[in-house]
Amino acid sequence: MLGWIGGQLPWWITGPGVGLCVVALYGLINARLGVSGAWLATLAPAEGWRPEPWRRTFLLALVGGAALAAVLGPPVALHGYGRLSEVLPPAALVPVLLLVGVALGYGARWAGGCTSGHGMSGCAAGSPDSVVTTATFFTVAVAVTLVLHALTGGRL
Amino acid sequence: MSRGFRWSALAVGAVFGFLLTVSGLGDYHTIHDGLLLRNPYIFLMMASAMAVAFVGLALLRRRGRTRFAGRLALPHVRAERRHVYGGALFGLGFGVGATCPGMTVAMTTTGGLYGLVVLVGLLGGLWLRGAAERRQSRPVSTESEIREPAR
Repeated sequence: MLGWIGGQLPWWITGPGVGLCVVALYGLINARLGVSGAWLATLAPAEGWRPEPWRRTFLLALVGGAALAAVLGPPVALHGYGRLSEVLPPAALVPVLLLVGVALGYGARWAGGCTSGHGMSGCAAGSPDSVVTTATFFTVAVAVTLVLHALTGGRL
Repeated sequence: MSRGFRWSALAVGAVFGFLLTVSGLGDYHTIHDGLLLRNPYIFLMMASAMAVAFVGLALLRRRGRTRFAGRLALPHVRAERRHVYGGALFGLGFGVGATCPGMTVAMTTTGGLYGLVVLVGLLGGLWLRGAAERRQSRPVSTESEIREPAR
């Protein structure tokens, strides 16, 4: 909003930065950094199990950090959903996005992690489950994107 | 929760959320163009994160202990079929929505309010998987079963 950060920071700052976050969480509290695990912890009371206490703090801090970046970054304008909202009217976009979320949540819990938990933290530690999960989801994501691109004549 | 745990989660979480946002990962086009193999940003970011984490973890292994949780125990879990099935379903959501659980937070704070719809779906999906596991009379997965960290 304030425009103190002009736009997208280069990958050689953000990449090593998130790499250090992964190392820091292992080195400080012996924990695998994972965002799906943090969301999952919010369901724990309803499901009757006790999450590790740091997970809720982590999620709140994540939202806070993302909000701070939005405040320091370029002007925030309410916007749609990229090309998806050019192709789909809102009445179709909302159910599609709900299903996107369901696939992400169901898949992440099934596999035991998401882009951060498996893709970065688990792979960096060389854990076989993380390598398999990450190779699978990146391959499928690229394939799905390319197929949708072809099927919609390049509109997606 | 000890003060060390709380401040660690707070600091790392905030920096991580900040970086996910200033990297533009909350922007549909950053991810979509990456998955179309037209913009290398996400792959360069991922690879450099990996390289740094790899070196950092090598140093950490040599040290062998953590600041607040005793001996270091990095995850090492056998790959099973569920990782392929879950990963494929996750990849489907990733491909169609060009987002993931963390990126959706960045999307929402930068004005992409449809991210809230994805988040509702995400919680629903996590819950549905838990329901399926309970139906099979198995303990629900919590992402913490790789080990029990010392508190």
